Amino acid sequence: MNFIKRRIINSIIVFLAVLNLDFFLPRLAPGNAAEILAAGSKVPATAILLLEQRFGLNKPLYVQYALYLKGIFSWPPDFGISYGYYPDTVTHLFEVRVGWSMLLLLSSLALGIALAYVAAASSTLRRGGKLEALAMDVSVLINSTPIFWSAMGLLWIFAITLNIFPLYGNVDLGATGIGYVESILVHAVLPVVTLAVSIFGESYLLLRGSTQEALKSDYVLAAESRGLYNRMIATRYVLRNSLLPLVSVMSFSLASLVSRLILVEAVFGYPGIGDLIIDAVKLHDYPVIEGSLFFLTVFVIVGGLIGDYVLVRMDPRLKS
Amino acid sequence: MEKARATRKLEDRHSIAVKKADRLRGFGWFYSRFLSNKSAKVGWFLILCVLLMVLVGPYFVQYAPDAIAGEANSPPTLAHPFGTDYLGHDILSQVIYGAYPSLIVGLAAALGATTFGFVVGVLGGYYNKLEWVLSASTDAILSIPALPLLILIGIIFVVTDQLIVGGLMLVLWAPAARAVRSQVASVKKLPYVDAAKTSGMSDWRIIWRVIVPKVGSIAMAYFVLLVSVSVVLATALEFIGVGNPEVVSWGSILYFAQQYGFYLGDWWWVLAPGLAITVVATGFALIGFSFEEMMNPRLRT
Repeated sequence: MNFIKRRIINSIIVFLAVLNLDFFLPRLAPGNAAEILAAGSKVPATAILLLEQRFGLNKPLYVQYALYLKGIFSWPPDFGISYGYYPDTVTHLFEVRVGWSMLLLLSSLALGIALAYVAAASSTLRRGGKLEALAMDVSVLINSTPIFWSAMGLLWIFAITLNIFPLYGNVDLGATGIGYVESILVHAVLPVVTLAVSIFGESYLLLRGSTQEALKSDYVLAAESRGLYNRMIATRYVLRNSLLPLVSVMSFSLASLVSRLILVEAVFGYPGIGDLIIDAVKLHDYPVIEGSLFFLTVFVIVGGLIGDYVLVRMDPRLKS
Repeated sequence: MEKARATRKLEDRHSIAVKKADRLRGFGWFYSRFLSNKSAKVGWFLILCVLLMVLVGPYFVQYAPDAIAGEANSPPTLAHPFGTDYLGHDILSQVIYGAYPSLIVGLAAALGATTFGFVVGVLGGYYNKLEWVLSASTDAILSIPALPLLILIGIIFVVTDQLIVGGLMLVLWAPAARAVRSQVASVKKLPYVDAAKTSGMSDWRIIWRVIVPKVGSIAMAYFVLLVSVSVVLATALEFIGVGNPEVVSWGSILYFAQQYGFYLGDWWWVLAPGLAITVVATGFALIGFSFEEMMNPRLRT
């Protein structure tokens, strides 16, 4: 089967999986949402009935399922009403916050991969050097450090002790004009650096793995024997071929990147989707968690498909 | 290209060492197989340190993890080398006693995920008909962000250790299955598998006698790597409040620290538990990498 066709079918399967998971998983729990909301407090039975009516929980399961599908496939998609921010809808909460999450994610992705590329280039140029060994050890260490702990470390050094960067939030209240932009940038520095360092760790290990492989290949041997400059071999032959595996693996690690983004936003109190999810844990805000699982999975699917498209454009061999 | 030649020479020496290792027995065999590599040495050292802390530590600390041991919010002193928390609990003691729950969850989840992933990977790699179904479900798990899924499970059900282990298994089996599957697919092409088929061995016998011994080592490497991942993931869940705050574990210490003292500047509260997680995760990751390096047939020949 064709590579792209196969990836599209897989994406549809993932989409259907999360669609059904989101509906059936909460209904596996003992008691429905209205009873859970009312648990522990002295709520009269009529109020519970009213709540059940409000959420449509008194209808048969297949009607609920149909209503659920209708909500998701309308525009804008309807994930229901948040318990924690009642009467705000989950969709509206996402609209307000998604831009901030994207700002963190995309800028840290760009920074992290750029750093890894530079490090991989210099360690390919000086094979077996001290820098290579150091970058290797540092990457292994980065990959094993819990990101919320390194985030706390950076926060403690740069925000609490040195007071260079703000402690939490995304922008200062009342900042306008150029000050507004500056305030956004200053608030984003620590979260972006934390995420970028972690992206650097994993993509450097990946890049190095594939440069090692490329260095053993016949085309590098041929280039060496033609007497090409080391620099030219490194950039034109080794690194260019090593970028392909990076793209294909990065589209897979997008899911783990989303998990890390949630943790980073939690530590820095950065008002994106992740921070919303953390609040929802404390408030047992089902609709927000369900909605964000759905939204984030769709984001990962779309990101993966874009990655695949780039991959096919870069490597025509995949077309057949 | 002096250096390229030098690295090639090194690789030759490495493969000679491995061949030698096949002839050795007893500790010599163990040493050259599992410890002859720098990252393996460091990894085993870190894990032994942690094991020592778990086993011997409780006899050395003077305070129980839930005892009011001294002044609240005290920075490190001689009596409390890692300070105290907002209620006056000794943090060193909490880290030592909290190791057991954190490690046992990670080990159990990694063991379950590797076993399941191994079975799925072997079947998916061997039977062409199953390959597509299993690879699609593997891809599905890999594309759903683990943390939101585990949070959803965590707020729906009553959080117990079994639930956390089950949830971690659900999200972690997929990478192991993928690695095993690709390995099985390449082993299946070897001529002696054809030979076994022509000689009339049944599929199950071929899987047991020919495929499993060949890919068992990669499952072992994956198990060790997954321990590292699952300890960190379990701690992350506890850190954001999906866990049992009554049980002292590394994650719950960090959870309380973030709630009650860290943003006021109590750095000592997060230093020791975070360091402990990092040491465990780094140790297992290094051992896992060294396993992979030593057992990967491509690197060996």
